[in-house]
Amino acid sequence: MSPYEFTNVLVALDGSPGAAKALDCALSICSAVDAPLTALAVEGKLPAYAASLGEVDEIKRHKDEYFRGVLTDAAAQATTRGVELKTDLVPGHAAELITHYARAHGHDLIVVGHRGHFLGDYLLGSTADRVAHNAHCPVMVVR
Amino acid sequence: MDAVQLAAVLAAAVLLASMISIEIGLSVALVELALGVVFGNAFGLNANSDWLVFIANFASVVLTFLAGAEVDPDDFRERFGISLAIGLVSFVGPFVVAGLAAYGLLGWSLKAALIAGTALSTTSLAVVYAVLVETRLNETRIGKLIMSACFVTDMATAIALSAIFIKPNAWFPVFLVVSVGLIVGLPKLAPWFFGRYGDRVIEPEIKLVFACLLLLMVLADAAKGHAVLPAFVLGLVMARHYQQHRSEQQRMRVVAFAFLTPFFFVRGGLNVSLGAVFANLGLLGVLFAAKMVPKIALILPLARHHVPEHATFTTLLMSTGLTFGTISSLYGLNAGIIDRTQFSLLVTVVVLSAIVPTAVAQHWFSPDAEAERAASRERQSHSHTGGRRSSNEPATAGEGA
Repeated sequence: MSPYEFTNVLVALDGSPGAAKALDCALSICSAVDAPLTALAVEGKLPAYAASLGEVDEIKRHKDEYFRGVLTDAAAQATTRGVELKTDLVPGHAAELITHYARAHGHDLIVVGHRGHFLGDYLLGSTADRVAHNAHCPVMVVR
Repeated sequence: MDAVQLAAVLAAAVLLASMISIEIGLSVALVELALGVVFGNAFGLNANSDWLVFIANFASVVLTFLAGAEVDPDDFRERFGISLAIGLVSFVGPFVVAGLAAYGLLGWSLKAALIAGTALSTTSLAVVYAVLVETRLNETRIGKLIMSACFVTDMATAIALSAIFIKPNAWFPVFLVVSVGLIVGLPKLAPWFFGRYGDRVIEPEIKLVFACLLLLMVLADAAKGHAVLPAFVLGLVMARHYQQHRSEQQRMRVVAFAFLTPFFFVRGGLNVSLGAVFANLGLLGVLFAAKMVPKIALILPLARHHVPEHATFTTLLMSTGLTFGTISSLYGLNAGIIDRTQFSLLVTVVVLSAIVPTAVAQHWFSPDAEAERAASRERQSHSHTGGRRSSNEPATAGEGA
């Protein structure tokens, strides 16, 4: 078997136009090779050193609502295109979590958008760069 | 600078703080404190304008109420004995050591040393909570244990701040009776009052809570005490009500975070003298050590005995501090117990204690969250107790479809 026969694909979503393109591309691949797809939404970090539980709770709630919406849209697209989709929502640092998650769940291809939402993408290099650098498996960066 | 000009400048500062906080992922309170320091030291703004002092004082009581109201009572039952032990030593150790260090080594007055002890004995439930939620450890045994212990420390701080500085006079019994009356009565009144008058844009339910808190402040002032303890307990007894009426709690938070608490933290920052901090770096180190060393020395052995696999993580998170430390320091400054240099040192140590132990715990001692959650699920299934599904549980396959 070729090492590039993808059987367990992961796409990272953050609601950005780049991630939408990544989802479209991942669905095409999974549809073509009949592989299941996992859509992982990473919420980004919560405010560090908060002074009130309320600040953390409210930001977490907003993030949950937003990213559940993103995953709902992804699930609708997957259904339309006949791809088996699993969704997961995790808080934390995007690049670290995507690579860790892919390794932990045995994914053999990671699909990410070229540029996400976060200011850090502009200041520190994109999440896609860091995923590509640290991943254990092939990474497709979609423009 | 007149009052309106000062308000306009500070409004710009708190707006800027919100934007920076969102962009860099730092808590808004810390950014407000930092901008307060910048504005105070660069432009010499008056931190003691009457309106600002009033709003900051009221905000501190509202923050305390919210701290109580945000506690989930169900989270504080598991392993209460060990939580109580860790929470108490977490308070007593630094309270005694920091108090003695300030009194004996630094030559502060007894009252100033007691303020130092109180401000540096705190643990920040909010700082800890953010770390636990981010790692999804808040639903695990270790997460609940740490939050319970933080709550015990917070309660001890509130008791200390209220009890130590009180000078009982004729108003004290009135303050006591009204406090108990509100704590007993408000949870009983709330369902009827909120049902009849709530859910309106004019927000009678928020006004009721504010009226209660202002009454406590007036009576505490007359009794030469502090409203922090009854406000905290009042929040605590209202926690169950707010759990069942989340939108009320959210609206309360909106009012507090949009208008009240920013001025509390900005005023805290305005009172910090950078010159005093840099001129007293040695004292800063002594005070920081006076907080951290007893926390570590006393909590670590207990944690090693009861939660050996997470002892260092637990100890570091119990060594944090922010809101109650700032409230205690500002109380000391307002009451004339500590001067601006002492306040600057205490607030700097409090901020350092929010950042340093948290960062170390997150980077080097964070437990395997996945394994902890699996262990917690296994324990729950064995005990047949069931459990709530956390809002931050991951969506399962196909969820959201």
